[in-house]
Amino acid sequence: MKPIILQGHERSITHIKYNREGDLLFSSSKDSKANVWFSLNGERLGTFNGHQGAIWCLDVDWTSTKFLTASGDMTVKLWDLEYGTTIATIKCKSPGRTCGFSYSGNQAAYSNDSSMGQTCEVTIIDVRNADSNLSTADPILRIPISSSKVTSMLWANLDNNIITGHENGMVSIFDLRTGKELNSVKDHTSTINDMQLSKDGTMFVTASKDTSAKLFDSESLVCLKTYKTEKPVNSASISPILDHVVLGGGQDAMEVTTTSTQAGKFDSRFYHLIYEEEFARVKGHFGPINSLSFHPDGHSYATGGEDGFVRLQVFDQSYFDYMFD
Amino acid sequence: MARKKNEQFSDDDQDYGDEPNFDDPEGFVDDVSDEELLGDFLSNKPCETDGVENVVVVDNIPKVGQARQEKLRSVIDKLFSTFGQINKEFYPVDEEGNTKGYAFLEYKNSENAEEAVKSLNNHRLDKSHTFAVNLFTDFQKYEHIPEKWEPPTPQPYKVQTDLYNFLIEPDGYDQFCVAAETAPNAIQVQFWQNTLPEPMELETRDRFTETFVKWSPQGTYIVTFHKQGVVLWAGTTFARVNRFQQAATHFVDFSPCENYLVTYGPTPDGQKIIIWDIRTGLEKRTFISKGNMSRFRWSHDDRYVAYMGENAIFIHETPTFYLLDLKSIKIPGIRNFSWSPTDNIIAYWVAEVTDVPAKVTLMEIPRRTEIRNKILFNVAECKIHWQQSGDYLCVKVDRFSKSRKDKKDSDVKFLGMFYNLEIFHMREKDIPVDSVEIKELILAFAWEPVGTKFAIIHGEPNIANVTFYEVKKGQKPNLVKKLEKKVCGHLFWSPRGQFIVLANLTMGTFEFVDTENDFVVMNSGDHFRASEVEWDPTGRYCVTGVSAWKVKEDNGYYIWSFQGKVTKRVMLKNFEQFLWRPRPKTLLSEQQQKEIKKNLKKYYAQFESKDRLRTTRASKELLEKRAHLRELFMEYRVKRIEDYNNQKTRRLELRNHVDTDNLNTEDVEEEIVEFLIKEETTIIE
Repeated sequence: MKPIILQGHERSITHIKYNREGDLLFSSSKDSKANVWFSLNGERLGTFNGHQGAIWCLDVDWTSTKFLTASGDMTVKLWDLEYGTTIATIKCKSPGRTCGFSYSGNQAAYSNDSSMGQTCEVTIIDVRNADSNLSTADPILRIPISSSKVTSMLWANLDNNIITGHENGMVSIFDLRTGKELNSVKDHTSTINDMQLSKDGTMFVTASKDTSAKLFDSESLVCLKTYKTEKPVNSASISPILDHVVLGGGQDAMEVTTTSTQAGKFDSRFYHLIYEEEFARVKGHFGPINSLSFHPDGHSYATGGEDGFVRLQVFDQSYFDYMFD
Repeated sequence: MARKKNEQFSDDDQDYGDEPNFDDPEGFVDDVSDEELLGDFLSNKPCETDGVENVVVVDNIPKVGQARQEKLRSVIDKLFSTFGQINKEFYPVDEEGNTKGYAFLEYKNSENAEEAVKSLNNHRLDKSHTFAVNLFTDFQKYEHIPEKWEPPTPQPYKVQTDLYNFLIEPDGYDQFCVAAETAPNAIQVQFWQNTLPEPMELETRDRFTETFVKWSPQGTYIVTFHKQGVVLWAGTTFARVNRFQQAATHFVDFSPCENYLVTYGPTPDGQKIIIWDIRTGLEKRTFISKGNMSRFRWSHDDRYVAYMGENAIFIHETPTFYLLDLKSIKIPGIRNFSWSPTDNIIAYWVAEVTDVPAKVTLMEIPRRTEIRNKILFNVAECKIHWQQSGDYLCVKVDRFSKSRKDKKDSDVKFLGMFYNLEIFHMREKDIPVDSVEIKELILAFAWEPVGTKFAIIHGEPNIANVTFYEVKKGQKPNLVKKLEKKVCGHLFWSPRGQFIVLANLTMGTFEFVDTENDFVVMNSGDHFRASEVEWDPTGRYCVTGVSAWKVKEDNGYYIWSFQGKVTKRVMLKNFEQFLWRPRPKTLLSEQQQKEIKKNLKKYYAQFESKDRLRTTRASKELLEKRAHLRELFMEYRVKRIEDYNNQKTRRLELRNHVDTDNLNTEDVEEEIVEFLIKEETTIIE
């Protein structure tokens, strides 16, 4: 299983994502740039230049025409994917943390940090006929978050709900028609670093600093499964074709320099979705994995690490031949 | 003035009128006793017999004349005042002023007196005087023994736990314990049985010990450490069998046959060392070390215990714990000694002094005959390594070609170091000695526990060579294999021989070598920062551990097979110790053991089928568990998949009636787009 290593960032990777078809892979970095790559051969297609701070989150809509980034420079940018140009720049009062398109791609949401005297807010905007006016247009909805700040966010149940993962480990679901919180659970004890939906959107997997990842029902927020490790989990993804979950993480970035790669546990770890048993590890990064994602066809996956590299791993036949029972 | 005052008072008194009469009326009989009025007060009234229980009678003290009484008193005082202040002493004398051979000493309280009796009764002052110390009250007690004998009431029978239960486990599984700190000074200890296919937990004890635990050499007892002393535990349930009180004991040693326990604890006067009888719990002998005593070392059969003092070895005999022949063995310049693991022979070495060479001597105990001497020159340091079966002894000699005395530190600096291994053939006549010279620094030496090989690591720490030698009867040690350029610093032989682990404990890398099959490296692996290596008593498993004593992160242990495959990884917070429970020596004769080895093929099939059965049973359980989980999960999924299917129209609506549920990569039409990249004009001539 020889990986393709994508070298195009000067600082650590913060987020990676495939588009719906899986032919493109997007990566964002602390070097304030976002890149788009051909997932087939790892060739770089282009770079989104414009941010002045670390990009924390990115998303692409289902038609692969629009691209959204949330950055530490206190802006959220909407890009034209084909030309790599900025459509609109939305100024926030504090660094942007998360962003995402809805199922239909008609709406988008972003959240900002609760720093600089600002409270954390989730903002819903209309991006149907987006142009530069979007920068000044009123949003559809603002949901102030009074509790712990939002560290990850998902659109769920088509365009109806937003699920937020918080710094204190809480997971909440909001109804966008009323703007009210429907439910919230606190199964994790520390920051939720990442949340990713299953292919059909009925479940999602969380990755938490409390060294575990959990599988939740995306309507009732019932915790279905728990995947335990020894180190903080930064990202988790569900295979679209098999009952597999992949987890990536490692210790906090600030501790990395004092640990050897051998001890660092910078491997991606594969768990069985239902049995919660670990069955494989893939080595490679020499820093913690910050973000990972399965290819939509389930035949490969990509990881982005603190070391600044994105690694594209295509599974061998033995991965598909492996039967649990 | 005074008078005037008196007058004034008398004047005042008159104001109160006449003083009433307090006299008893005539014929009054007092019916209230003092007891009733002042009972509590009177109970403190001193009486003659007070303090009798504080008095001890010391018999068998030397009879001396007046001239030497002062000396005698000071000797007795010194001995007895360690238990408390002596208030009064009395030495009866005869008409000529000689002491009568006994004395009375009164302590401040009865506890001191009892302590003195406990410790100094049967104390040997010198050859002909052994104290008989008794409480004074005992004399009274025994004077008043009733004439009529009453049968003693029968004591309820106390069931003794079976100490050797762990040995009758039908499958011969080994046990191990794992210690981890759960709170400051509270160590949790888990007991496990190394069953197949997964180890089974026997018991977990929270706050079992305050510092660490230690097994006795044959695995019968486990010892825990507490503020007041140490406790021994044994039996199936690890019940408490005995307590040994010595405050702040920080270390213990067992005698090889588990008859005695030696506890070491600091006191203001120096290290206090107590030897206890394990079964009775009685103190046998106490020593105070002022820093000049070595650890106590036992002979293999528990008959002798020895320690090294300045220029002498002190050997005490069991069970009396008297000095052997009542005198130490004077050896000027002795540096170290060691007992043979199978015979009552001591090996020691004496350092080199100007003009007198260094010497390694073997001495037979108790006859004190020197059975072998080996003179060595230019010696900086010696290390004594006995082979486990006592057949061979290796003395590693660090030698120098030049030495220089540093005037400033009065330290001697050695230059041009080289190393000799002196091999003593113990079982041959006159104990011949062979010598192997190694030019490089020897980092480690280890005898094969069962067998005749030894291994050394020599060279630089980062590019060391591992060399194996074989020793045969009547032959010089023979180099059998040299493994070059290994990064290792420690050697760990399997307790059954043949297999050895070459360990690098700074990085945590391990190589498993089979020394019977061309010294092939069977496997190598790493356990980052592992600092401990523990072979199980059967030599089938090896454990590496990252102890919280060394590093605070990634604590836990790996269990490896002897072939170097990791069979189990356990991460445990603040893990400190992993200890296999030792086993006593086999009771089978060598003949019987050979018989078993010969028929190994026959047993092999039996065990193999048993193991297979066990693993299938386990995997069956696992499969059932998984099937159950799958069933539960599917139950939930069915409902959700239905929900998902019901959403189909809504999904289509939201995405402009494009069905994106599947990737449909097969249906995609390949489109060839041609566009101009570059225009070039070439003029054809």
